[in-house]
Amino acid sequence: MKLTVEHTSFGYKKSTPVIQNLSFTAESGQLIAILGPNGAGKTTLLRCTTGLLKWNKGISRLDGENTNQMPAKEIWKKVAYVPQARGSFAALNVTDMILLGTTSRVGVFATPGQKERDLVVQLTEELGIQRLLNKNCNEISGGELQMVLIARALAGKPDLLILDEPESALDFKNQLIVLNTMSRLVAEGICVIFNTHYPDHALSRATHSLILQKGGASIFGETSKIVTEENIKKAFGVQAVIGKTETAGHVYQSVVPLKVIKAQGTCEKVADSTQQQLALISCIITDPGIQPKLNTLLKQYETYIVSHDEKPLQKATIATITMSAPAEEVTSLAHEISVFPGVAVKTTAVPKQEAANG
Amino acid sequence: MSTAEDEPQKSTGISLPWKIILVVLPIAAALASLCFGRYAMPIQDIFHAIHDAIFGGNTVSPQVATVLWSMRMPRILLALLAGAGLSAAGCAFQSLFSNPLATPDTIGVASGASFGAALGLLMNFGLMGVQVVSLIFGLAALILTILAGSNKKRSNLNSVVLAGIMMGSLFSALVSLVKFAADPENQLPAITYWLMGSLDAAGYDSLLLGAPPILVGLAVLLLLRWRLNLLPLSEDEARSTGVNVTVLRGITILCATMITASVVSMCGQVGWVGLLVPHMCRMKFGNNHTALLPASVLAGGAFLVVVDTVARSISASEFPISILTALIGAPFFIYLMRRTGGWQL
Repeated sequence: MKLTVEHTSFGYKKSTPVIQNLSFTAESGQLIAILGPNGAGKTTLLRCTTGLLKWNKGISRLDGENTNQMPAKEIWKKVAYVPQARGSFAALNVTDMILLGTTSRVGVFATPGQKERDLVVQLTEELGIQRLLNKNCNEISGGELQMVLIARALAGKPDLLILDEPESALDFKNQLIVLNTMSRLVAEGICVIFNTHYPDHALSRATHSLILQKGGASIFGETSKIVTEENIKKAFGVQAVIGKTETAGHVYQSVVPLKVIKAQGTCEKVADSTQQQLALISCIITDPGIQPKLNTLLKQYETYIVSHDEKPLQKATIATITMSAPAEEVTSLAHEISVFPGVAVKTTAVPKQEAANG
Repeated sequence: MSTAEDEPQKSTGISLPWKIILVVLPIAAALASLCFGRYAMPIQDIFHAIHDAIFGGNTVSPQVATVLWSMRMPRILLALLAGAGLSAAGCAFQSLFSNPLATPDTIGVASGASFGAALGLLMNFGLMGVQVVSLIFGLAALILTILAGSNKKRSNLNSVVLAGIMMGSLFSALVSLVKFAADPENQLPAITYWLMGSLDAAGYDSLLLGAPPILVGLAVLLLLRWRLNLLPLSEDEARSTGVNVTVLRGITILCATMITASVVSMCGQVGWVGLLVPHMCRMKFGNNHTALLPASVLAGGAFLVVVDTVARSISASEFPISILTALIGAPFFIYLMRRTGGWQL
């Protein structure tokens, strides 16, 4: 699956554009976070991306086809959308709710059969919510409903899963469950795009991020080059520091907001600086399924990689990557590796200058 | 695979005993209704008469045959159809507008049809004339509502509901105007009585005209029963299943309206059935339309047959049916709501 959005714009009224000249690409295996202040148009962006709204300008292609011209049915064969969870009148039970996701694949006058029911059981087992199958959607918690809606979306067997603030109204255990589910789906090979209010979640999960500013400007790229203190200041009007918490296997980043300031300026993707680093990225890979994905990723950074060794150690694999690259590229690769589930990763680096002088 | 340890999967549909009850209920009600009335007849006579009708013969008196075939039978058929139709229409409208208070009259169709009927009575049209005029005004009310409530840019169901309520009050006012203009000696009572709803006028002619729209509407809704589950979802959610929701809504509105207009044109405003029966079924069978809709149709038919039988049996002059649907329905509804702990909206 490949989605390319090229120079698109959208506004409910011509005079006030919500999104201007937006470009990004989404591919299988990527987890993309969309950040932006309240009212910037994040949901609008998702609705345009799914074809629920049509772009006014520019072109968006799903596997090469212009989404503005694709019949809705064709788009929804590849794309699934999880709106913000809320109860509705006449709530169904969980099984039926998930079965609704298969509707377009059963005949107009037909009712989902045993095949679809088996799929529902399988999906709920994978998501760990089989205990909910017989409950009514009104009896379950917000976090559980969110998982049910994800299951409903997955019942359509999408290549691209789009979620609108999936973790917003949840406590942090449930946030973690939802985020883990997204990471796992991406590791299994689909593409996930989600809106979020939490830069932390973008930093801990997303391979790529997109920041949408009020007025319609946007930037897109590898998360470590997008979610920065500078861009948070410009987009949200919040002075913040990005702190680091180190555990045995990871360095986690989190955003600490300090002070409200005026949001001004246009966000910019971090460019490569002139400062070159010698770096060693060491990983312990406990999930063998990640190996091919890691190799694909390393291909993208080929020019900067000096050497790459892997050796098995008991059931895990130890990988060491040596790089000579601008600091930003080192951070970016290390970050992209760190969002894989089942990989512990740390970086050691020195400025090249120092190495030469030393 | 599910094993014995797993919680047994609760059937999402109707359990077998309830299936049997739901199917037997309208038939039993109809048979009982054939016996009851001011000319009571034993059940054997009914079976004999049916036997006569199919295989020929002359085992029952012509009097019995007349009462049975030309008076009670069309009336019971009408009750079955009207009850089933109104329940299905109410159920569809509640889901469509995500509103538990929606009834078959929500978008002004019943008021339109009532005005048509009142106008027909004012003009002294015959029974069939009244029915035709009523049907036409019912559909006209729908078209006006849709025109007033829909917007070129995007369809918003709330504005359709609002437009429907406006159209309903407009036609109600017109009904009052017709009443005001009517001759108070005989036209006014006729209009008033008609508006309270009565299955008195049932006949095969009237059924021939009124039944097809109801049957077609019911058939389409029943066939679409799984997809109707998409209606209460939010617009984006429903569209994201890949189903063309605009078309689905259009078909639902058209079917439910056709049913309502046709019922009103035959027997006036029979209130409450379209609200009570679907909610009773929601409490008992849940909100999945694959179970809910057939259950509503069967229970609605049975309910109206029972109510109508009471209406024509309890007093020398016939009792207006809307009064009875409320008198019987509301307490039963409250009883059911308390017993099941209600249902969550």
